[in-house]
Amino acid sequence: MKKTLLSLAALAAFAHAQDGSQNSSFADAFSQSAFIPDISLILDMSYVNRNLKDEEVAHLEIPGVAHGLIGGHSHGEHSHSTVNASNGFNLNYAELALHSSVDPYFDLDAVFHFSEHGVEIEEGYFTTNAIPYGFRIRGGKFLSEFGYLNNRHHHVWDFADMPLAYQAFLGGHGINEIGAQLQWLAPTPLYWMFGIELLQGKNEQMFGTGAIAPAGDPETITVSSPDQPNLYVGYTKLSGDIGDTTLLGGLSIAYGDSRIDHLEDEEAPHAFAGTSTLYGADLVVKHYFDSYSYLKWQSEWLYRDLDGTQYNYPPDDTTQFNSITMRKKQAGYYTQLVYAYDQNWRIGGRLDSIYQNDVIAESTNKNMPEDLNRYTAMIDYSTSEFARFRLQYNHNTALYNEEGERQDVNSLIFQVNMAIGAHGAHSF
Amino acid sequence: MKTFLFTLILFVSTAAFARLNVAVSYPYIGAITKAVGADKVDVTVLAKGNWDPHFVVARPSLISKLRRSDALIINGAQLEIGWIPPLIKRANNRNILPGTKGFLDLSASIEMIQKPSSVSRAGGDVHPDGNPHFHLAPQNILILARSVTAFLSTLDPLNRDSFEQNLQDFELLWTKEMLKWAATMASAKNRKVIEYHQNFDYFLQAYDIKGIATIEPLPGIPPSSRHTMELIDTIKTQKPCCIIHDVYHSTKTATYLHDKTGIKVVIMPHDIGALDSIESLSQLFDYLTSKFP
Repeated sequence: MKKTLLSLAALAAFAHAQDGSQNSSFADAFSQSAFIPDISLILDMSYVNRNLKDEEVAHLEIPGVAHGLIGGHSHGEHSHSTVNASNGFNLNYAELALHSSVDPYFDLDAVFHFSEHGVEIEEGYFTTNAIPYGFRIRGGKFLSEFGYLNNRHHHVWDFADMPLAYQAFLGGHGINEIGAQLQWLAPTPLYWMFGIELLQGKNEQMFGTGAIAPAGDPETITVSSPDQPNLYVGYTKLSGDIGDTTLLGGLSIAYGDSRIDHLEDEEAPHAFAGTSTLYGADLVVKHYFDSYSYLKWQSEWLYRDLDGTQYNYPPDDTTQFNSITMRKKQAGYYTQLVYAYDQNWRIGGRLDSIYQNDVIAESTNKNMPEDLNRYTAMIDYSTSEFARFRLQYNHNTALYNEEGERQDVNSLIFQVNMAIGAHGAHSF
Repeated sequence: MKTFLFTLILFVSTAAFARLNVAVSYPYIGAITKAVGADKVDVTVLAKGNWDPHFVVARPSLISKLRRSDALIINGAQLEIGWIPPLIKRANNRNILPGTKGFLDLSASIEMIQKPSSVSRAGGDVHPDGNPHFHLAPQNILILARSVTAFLSTLDPLNRDSFEQNLQDFELLWTKEMLKWAATMASAKNRKVIEYHQNFDYFLQAYDIKGIATIEPLPGIPPSSRHTMELIDTIKTQKPCCIIHDVYHSTKTATYLHDKTGIKVVIMPHDIGALDSIESLSQLFDYLTSKFP
């Protein structure tokens, strides 16, 4: 009897196993692995050699424009780390990107930025794909399509760092905000796109959503926070081909209230409140010699107009402000040329400049320096589409120390960028 | 502004009554679609025939072409993975989305060769679904033409009879051509060849020719000196007839191999437009078969 039971059990187990093998396997009956989104991981690291020590570089500023552009810059408990911040080795980031369709009507994208300072949701947005008449809506946190470079991730840039004007006017993240975007593609033979964005406006270099109050008397709000969302962006882009040459041009505008709070800075604490407008024009001309070799000329011009009031503490008093009217009209550009010899080798040069720097306090122009230039050269080698090694040299004449003396910064950057997972797309 | 709006309305309204506007990724798909669609279909080819089909630049003008299309036909099998997805993402056209009735992936109708059992980029930029260059087997063109006919018939059922008739005409002509090409290629049977990339493998298979090596060490990885040295040995021991070279890669390594071993290098078109003289599908296979050593 016992034997029969045992053999029955064995038979049942066998039948079970057979059953399983027919349906590929048991565990797979409710498997969802086919729905795993496209995943990719991009690692960016660099070796940096500068003529100045990290602490010297951290205190440099572009007078009247921005400070702490290179290196870890701290005000209060926030520590902003840019890429290639330190002399020696830098692990700039590991970027995890996910993408998939949600349903027939939406796509979802998320980009997580892992660094030694923590994790940031760099992007997380849905995009419609089923709206008729050439419209598309995007919502969430995303890189604005202001200008050409702004919505492109660091790892697809042709240089290891951000153009000077971008970094100085908008900070290391550019316009990367939570909000909504509406784009319309005209049904024309030429590529002609229009877009508007309504964004929260938290960008710390130019906009901002916080209230301003003296640290010694935080109950007394000097300037209340603006209506939120606070930042309006609009742009149009036009593109066409002439033979094997493609032209892409764009005009952009960003308008919003400014609440720039540097009251917790150790050096010259101050705050600014007002309204700001940023204008941009961009042009890319790319000529193809064959499938792999091209010459690309890319230029962008930025002009910003900040109009408002600057607040400073009187000597030895943090309970109240001295206020002065402040107007900043600043303009800069970058222009770069990159030649791809073949699938492996590319060389490029870039000229950065902030050439207008009108800082008008109480209707007096403070005569800030205006010949703020940076010169960059790079050569890169890609072993495949997924790995790139780049050597870059910067000569930066835009930085000044606290005594107002120009400090040339020379940087040699060796950048390594690698990607695994889903195949990246080569958008223009 | 008024004229602008008027032009816009004109565009939108003409689109509604116009013939079916079909965008296709590569020129060969354009030729099949024209053969079947004839005067009932407008065809827009996105890629140029003389460029590497893996590396087509996603220029914005292609986005506006997709914006104005009623349908999209792609080769599939991940050949367009690097350039079509960003175009679709920006075209804001729900009629051509993957999975909708206006989207056709031709690879679905083909039994692909060289499907890797495991996939790793340590093996180069491999195609996980198999070798995607299937249009170079002439018998596959017939399968693709039937696939395109069924696709166009669903999109434009009123013209189904016309598409079917065009398909029959095409099949008749193509079958005749295939006999001609088979006769030309009969003497090439069992020959060994070297390619740059495995993009002529379906053609080789169709005529029992053996591809024994590629100039690139792994798919998508440019030639290395070590691999080239190994190729010299392979050429000396296995005595392949020739190097069948595509038009878009540099022939530097092939020329070097020719200098070292005397092996013949033949530049072969992979698509319509790859060489100036190749203007139709028949001319493509005429060239491939007649120039084969």
